[in-house]
Amino acid sequence: MRNALSACLIGAARANEKTILLTGDHGYSLFDEFRKYFPNQFINAGIAEQNMVGMAAGLAKKGFLPVVYGLSAFVPIRVLEQIKIDICYECLPVIFLGDGAGFTYSHLGVSHQCNEDIAALSAIPNISIYSPADRFEMKFVFESALQDKAPSYIRVGKCDLGDIHDCTSELNEQPLLNVRKGNNSSTVFLATGSMVKKTIKLAERFGNISVYSVPKLKPLDSKKLLVKLEQFRKIVTIEEHSIHGGLGACIAEHIMRSDPKKIFSIGVRDRFSQKCGSYEYLLKEAGLDEESMFASISKFLEE
Amino acid sequence: MRPNFNPKSIRKTVIEMAYAGSTVHIGCALSIVEILAVLYRQFLNYPNNDPLHVDRDYLVLSKGHGVMAQYACMRELNWLPEKAIKDYFSNGSELKGLSEFGVPGLEVTSGSLGHGFSIGVGIALGAKLSNTNQKTYVIVGDGEINEGSIWEGALFAAHHQLKNFTVIVDENGLQALGYTSEILGLGSIESKFASFGFEVLSVDGHNEIEIHSALNQLQNSLSSKPKALIAKTIKGKGISFMENDNIWHYTRLTPDIYALAIDELVRNDL
Repeated sequence: MRNALSACLIGAARANEKTILLTGDHGYSLFDEFRKYFPNQFINAGIAEQNMVGMAAGLAKKGFLPVVYGLSAFVPIRVLEQIKIDICYECLPVIFLGDGAGFTYSHLGVSHQCNEDIAALSAIPNISIYSPADRFEMKFVFESALQDKAPSYIRVGKCDLGDIHDCTSELNEQPLLNVRKGNNSSTVFLATGSMVKKTIKLAERFGNISVYSVPKLKPLDSKKLLVKLEQFRKIVTIEEHSIHGGLGACIAEHIMRSDPKKIFSIGVRDRFSQKCGSYEYLLKEAGLDEESMFASISKFLEE
Repeated sequence: MRPNFNPKSIRKTVIEMAYAGSTVHIGCALSIVEILAVLYRQFLNYPNNDPLHVDRDYLVLSKGHGVMAQYACMRELNWLPEKAIKDYFSNGSELKGLSEFGVPGLEVTSGSLGHGFSIGVGIALGAKLSNTNQKTYVIVGDGEINEGSIWEGALFAAHHQLKNFTVIVDENGLQALGYTSEILGLGSIESKFASFGFEVLSVDGHNEIEIHSALNQLQNSLSSKPKALIAKTIKGKGISFMENDNIWHYTRLTPDIYALAIDELVRNDL
C-alpha cells in the first residue's frame, strides 16, 4: 500500500506542477522516488507540524495543491486547530495523509498510536475522510480526494496486510464495497481500513455473512447506505479506531437519523457559523433556538 | 485618489465601530494604527484598488484582535460600505470581532494566535515558487509570539530565505492578563528574530516617518533574509485614558466614554 501511495503522489506531482508535498520530517524512504523526480515539489518543513499546516494554507491560497504528510498521531491530532481554521473553514484544497494510524507503531507506545483521528476530524465541517483498506482503495480514494479540490484526510493504517480487491476498476462511489459475498440476510459485517482483511476472515467463521469495506467515512451517502443496510437486522462494525466517533458511530448516526424512533439528536449540523451576530442569533442560525427546536421535536414526536 | 490614512481618522473609525458594536479589543486596535497607515499608504500594492487582485501584496493580520483598525483602513479604501461600520456586530452582518477570511481585504482567519504567521510564510513561499514580486507583511502581537508556531515559522522563513516576508511585531508590552514582561518575559524580541536569521530593525511604532523609513530600508536590503520590524507601541494609543490601560482589552464604551474619546480625537485634530 505504501508503494501505491508513493505512486499516487508521483502521479499527482506529474499531472500538476502545482502539487506540492510537505512532510514534517517523516516518511523515511517513502518519498525517495518522489524526491528524485520532483525535488522542487517536495518540502521537508522540519519537525514543526503547526507551521507546516499553516503554510499549506498559505500555499493553497497562492494556487498550489498541497499534500501534507505526517503520522496520524500528529497530523491531524497535533494540528487539529490549524486544520479546522486555516484549511477547513476556507475549504482549501489540501490533502492530509495520516500514516501509521491505529496500533501500527505497536512497540513505540501510545505517543505514536492513533485511534482518535477520524473522531477528531468528523466534527469539522468541509473535510472528507477516507480510510482505504488496500492499494486499490488507496489509489481510488487518492484520486477522489484530488478531484474534490477541497480538504481531505486519508487515513493510512497498517499497510502490509495484502490486497482485498483485484483491481481499482472494480471500485465505485458506493459507500459500501462488497468484499465478501454471503447469503445471510439478517447479519452483515462492515469494516474499514486495516480491519477489512481480518473481518473477511472472521466472517468465514460465522458462515455466510457478507462483508463490506467502507473506504470513505465522511461524507457518506446516507440514502445509498441505508438502502444497502435495510434488509439486515444485525450490523457489526469493525475498525482499528475508537468506538467513539469512528465507523460504528458514523453508521449508527445515519441509521438513527433515518429512522428516529427513540433518539432524535439536535445539535450543530456539520457547519461553521456564517454571519456575525449575538449568541442567540448564532443559536438560531444553527437551529438551536427554542422555536426551531420546538418545531423539529414536534415533528419527531408526531412520526 | 488614494486615501491619506490619517491616523486620527482611523482611530475615530475604531472608536465608532467599538461603540456601534459594543465591542472589546479597543486597545490592541489602537496600537497598530500607524503601522497600518504606513503599510496601506506606501507599501501594499493592490492593482486597481482590488483587495482580491491576484497580483496584490498580502497583509496578514495575525493578531486578529486588532481587526477594527484594519476595518478602518478598509473603510478609507472604500472596500467597506458605510452600513458595515454602522451595523458592526448586528445580527446577520459580515464583519466579525476577529479577522476572518471572506471579507475582501482580510487575508486570513486569525484570532487563534500564531496561525497567521505560518499562513503568511506559506503565501510568501508560494510567491517565491511562482517567481512573483509579491510581498507578504504579517502583523503579530508581542503577546502572540508566546506561541511556538511563530518560531517554527521563523525557522522556516529564514531557512528558505523568504526575503519577500516581513513580520511586524506590535510590541505594546501588554497581553490579555497583564504585562508581557511579567507573564512570559520575551527579553529582546530584536535579538530573538536576529538569531533566527531575520534582518531586524526597531522603530517607534507610532512615528510614521520612522516606520516608513525602516520598512524602506528592509525592502531595499540586498540580503536574502526575511525581515522583522519591531514596533514599540502603546496599547490604547491616541486616547489618553486608554493608553497602557489593559482594561480596554475588555471594556465596552458607554455613551459618556464614547463622547470623551471622540472629543479627544476631534479636539487634537484642530
